Amino acid sequence: MIGLQHYLVVSAALFSLGILGLLTRKNAVHVLMSIELILNSANVNLVAFSRFSAGNLGGQIFGVFVIVVAAAEVAVALAIVLTLYRLRRTPNLDETDILKG
Amino acid sequence: MEELLRSLALFRPETALVAGLLLVVVADSIGAAWRNAAVRLVTLASLAVALGFAFNLQASGAKAAIFSGMLVVDPLGAAFKVILIAAGLLTVLAFTFRNSRELHGLGQGELVALVLSLVLSSLLMAAANDLVMLYLALEMVSITSYVMVAYLKGDRMSNEASLKYVLFGAASTGTMLYGLSLLYGMTGTTSLPAIQAFLAGGIPEANRFAIYAITLLVLAGFGFKIAAVPFHFWCPDVYQGAATPVTALLSVLPKAAGLAITLRFFYGTFSAAGAGPWDLAGSINWGALVMVISVLTMTVGNVAALTQTNMKRLLAYSSIAHAGYLLMGVVALSENGARALLVYLAAYLFMNLGAFLVVTLVHLHEGSFDLRDYAGLYRRAPLLTVAMAFFLLSLVGIPPFVGFLGKLYVFGAVIEKGMGLFAVIGAVNAAIAAYYYFRVLKVMTIDAGNEDRPAIHLALADRAWLVAFALANVLPLLFWSRIDAWARGALVMYAGR
Repeated sequence: MIGLQHYLVVSAALFSLGILGLLTRKNAVHVLMSIELILNSANVNLVAFSRFSAGNLGGQIFGVFVIVVAAAEVAVALAIVLTLYRLRRTPNLDETDILKG
Repeated sequence: MEELLRSLALFRPETALVAGLLLVVVADSIGAAWRNAAVRLVTLASLAVALGFAFNLQASGAKAAIFSGMLVVDPLGAAFKVILIAAGLLTVLAFTFRNSRELHGLGQGELVALVLSLVLSSLLMAAANDLVMLYLALEMVSITSYVMVAYLKGDRMSNEASLKYVLFGAASTGTMLYGLSLLYGMTGTTSLPAIQAFLAGGIPEANRFAIYAITLLVLAGFGFKIAAVPFHFWCPDVYQGAATPVTALLSVLPKAAGLAITLRFFYGTFSAAGAGPWDLAGSINWGALVMVISVLTMTVGNVAALTQTNMKRLLAYSSIAHAGYLLMGVVALSENGARALLVYLAAYLFMNLGAFLVVTLVHLHEGSFDLRDYAGLYRRAPLLTVAMAFFLLSLVGIPPFVGFLGKLYVFGAVIEKGMGLFAVIGAVNAAIAAYYYFRVLKVMTIDAGNEDRPAIHLALADRAWLVAFALANVLPLLFWSRIDAWARGALVMYAGR
């Protein structure tokens, strides 16, 4: 029987993988995908809690909003990464280093 | 229907901004020769009307939860709204497309629409009463500011700044969201007052650790908005890369909105009746946590600012340090702490916008943000130098400037709570900060250099705004009792659905 705990473990794993990818990836698009993992881990949590423990639909509605916001955020982020590629011919975060100090 | 009408009546500042936003988009797409003037007029009108409504809202003392408990209206939120809208209005008035070399010749409509939506979203953030609304408003502030920072499209610095901003921002708000999902799971509701009621009923022993984890995760999101250490890494780069008027706006709006929501979240939600606001069920002490963040924030900001040679980076680190002082008001977590926060924010608004105006004007005439190019400015632009002296002394916190009063309130609130050592650390930090502010002043007045460059002739409007900001850093002291009464009257927080 799959219960709340199974979902929470999956979500914690997704969250950790997201953080790991965020810290280790050099390619900006990969980093964006890691951020998607973090957001979706929260979504898994919300929906699972809504189904198993809270007894209301608040979590599922929250999840829908998160999906919409994530789409908007990624649209902006991808536009910025595209501009980066056009200006420097690279998607690598290591090479974005003119601002420092 | 009745609920909707009642809500809309308390939603007037935001409604004015939404109307202005739509009109700006329409006016900008018409494409006639007068559109820039029309866009500017509509923006200023909607901001001014919104400011009037916000003042009214605060004066009426309305307390209610609106839109099915999604937002809350109370005098404290209204006071934050006044500060937020005033920041937007002053920025649009003083920083124009004429006096910013970076924005010169770019389309006005888009940036101004972004400014309006940034102000709108920070108002929503200051009034959020539900986890969903909190997250949506925070993301709306974030996404709008990412686009604003990326506004200089062909500029590599602007692009890099926006990239760093968007990655840091998405990561920290994602982390916060994970914390919010756990909070929902523990309490079974997304409404902040209901969460408060749940937590006040006592936490099971097994959930203690979860509460700690949630606090840390949520602080990541709030700390990012406030630019508190260790979530500050984006701040200097973004401030340097963005166009200076955008930087000026970003140094005030998200910070103020972030502090408003921090205050509402921790003071309003995570406080248990009778046990003292921080001391939930006698075992978890968040005060210590936020105090550590506050100390780190001001120390890192001030020490890093010592060696900066770029004015925008210097002011960025200075704004990080000020975030540390502002957090002292949150740590005190008393009525006086909240009042100190409001007073400090109002003072910070005038001194910081003034300093950024000077930086913009120097860049307009000299084409540089480098501190070296400020040498000898005293001979070539006396008014600019004197105004900058006012702003810098106010930022140091020297009487008789408003910055001093901000610090006085903040330190007073902390000492009152018996945290004397914390206040001493703050005072030591203020002394460190004096070094780099005075260094700028020394370069401008004493250092030799740039003798061959011609005198700077400022436009009349720029001079008027410099004088206005300089006076705003001194004159409030004459009306101090009224400002104190204003801040005191704002200390009512409403918690209900």
